[in-house]
Amino acid sequence: MRTTLAEIIDPTAVWQTIVAALVAGIGVTMVFSIGIFAIARFVELGREERPVGAFGFAALAMVALIACLAAIVVGIIVMTSK
Amino acid sequence: MHNDVVLVIVVGTALAFDFTNGFHDTANVVATSISTRAMSPRLAIGVASVLNFVGAVISLAVAATVAQDIVSSDAITPTVVFAGLIGAISWNLITWYFGLPSSSSHALIGGVVGAAWAAAGASAILGNGLLGKVLIPALIAPTLAFIAGGSAIAICYRIVAAQRPGLVARGFRLGQVASGGLLALAHGTNDAQKTMGVITLALVANGDISPNHFHVPTWVVISAASAIALGTYVGGWRIIRTMGTRIIRMDAAQGFSAQGAGAAVILASSHFGFPLSTTHVISGGVMGAGAGKRLSAVRWGVAGDIVTAWLMTLPAAAAIGALTYGITRVFGTGSAGPVVVAVVALALAALTFVRRAQQGAPVPAR
Repeated sequence: MRTTLAEIIDPTAVWQTIVAALVAGIGVTMVFSIGIFAIARFVELGREERPVGAFGFAALAMVALIACLAAIVVGIIVMTSK
Repeated sequence: MHNDVVLVIVVGTALAFDFTNGFHDTANVVATSISTRAMSPRLAIGVASVLNFVGAVISLAVAATVAQDIVSSDAITPTVVFAGLIGAISWNLITWYFGLPSSSSHALIGGVVGAAWAAAGASAILGNGLLGKVLIPALIAPTLAFIAGGSAIAICYRIVAAQRPGLVARGFRLGQVASGGLLALAHGTNDAQKTMGVITLALVANGDISPNHFHVPTWVVISAASAIALGTYVGGWRIIRTMGTRIIRMDAAQGFSAQGAGAAVILASSHFGFPLSTTHVISGGVMGAGAGKRLSAVRWGVAGDIVTAWLMTLPAAAAIGALTYGITRVFGTGSAGPVVVAVVALALAALTFVRRAQQGAPVPAR
C-alpha cells in the first residue's frame, strides 16, 4: 500500500503556515519601516515648523509602533499557548 | 541498581546536550543584534540567556514528539537515549569547531534514530514521522524565512530610502532589541523542551514515571532551563561570527528583517504544529535579507558550507549514535558501557575545547 504525501503531512496546515509566516514576516518589517519613516518625517516637518503635517506623521508613527507591539504580544501568546 | 546508574548518566548527558544547544545556538539569537551593534555582545548574550530560561519555563507542552513520532516507543531504552545524545553532542561540537551553524534539534533526532536503528533494526524507525515531522519542515522553513527576509528588506529599503541613514539605523537597532528578544524566547520554548522530553522519556523507560501519567517533573524543567541558559551565556563566538558577518555584512534594517522573518516563521510553524530548527530558519532569514539587497551581497560559498552541514547533520549524528550504541553493547547490557563511553566523550570534548582555545582566542564580533 502506497502512502501519499497528504497522509504524511497536512497540506492545509502547510499552506496556513506559509501564508501566516509571509504575512507576519513581511508585514511586521513593513509596518515598522513605516513607523521609522513617519518618525523621520515628523522630525523633519517639526524642524520646518509645519505642525499639522508633523502631527499627522506622529500619529502614523504611533499607530505603526502600536501595531508592532501588538504583533509581539500575539507572538508571546502563541508561544505560551503551544 | 545499574539501571539507575545509566539513568543518572542519561540525565547528565541530556543536560550536557542542552548546554551545547544553548552554546551552539546562541549565535542564532544574538549574532544579528551584535553585528549591527544593536546591543553590545555581553548585553545581547545576557538578555538572550535570561529569555531562553524564561522561554523554557513558560511553555510546558513537551516536545517528546522528537522521539515519540520518529522512533517506535518500544525501541526507546535509557541506553538508546544516551547513545542518541552522544551522537547529537558530538555533531554539535564538530560543527562548533568549524564555526558552522547546524541544527541541534536535527542532531538530537539523528542521534536517537541511529541508536534506535542499531538497537532494534530499521523497523524501529517511523519513516512517515521522520519525513513529515523532520525532513519536509526542514525544506520548507528555511526557504520560507529566505523569501520573507528577502521580501521584507526589499520593501523596507523602498519605504525608508529617502530618510536620514543615522535615524533609520537607530530605529532599526531599537527594533532589533524586541525582535531579538522574541527570537530568544522562541528558542527557549522550542529547544529546551526537547531536552525535557528526552529526560522524561528516559524516566518513563526506567519506570520512574508511568506512561499513563506522562508529566515533566519540576526538577527536569528547572535543570533543562538552567542548562540552556548557561550554555547561551557562555556563547559560541565562532558561530556568532559566521552568522553575524560571514554570510552577509548586514546593516540594522537587514538584521531586523532577518530576525522578524525568523520569528514569524518559527511562531507560525509552532502554531500549526510543525517542529523545526531555529538554526535553519534564522540562517535562511539572514541569507534572504542579504539577497533582498542584492544577490551578490550573500557570500554563497559560506552559505553553501552551511547548507552542506545541514544536509550532513541527520546522517552524521545517526552514524555516531549507532556507533555509540554498538560500543556500549561491547561492555554488555549493564552500566559499564555508558560509563566508559561517557568518560571517553567527556575527555574528547575537553580535548576539542583545549585545541580550539590553543588555535585562537574567541573572535570578537566586529
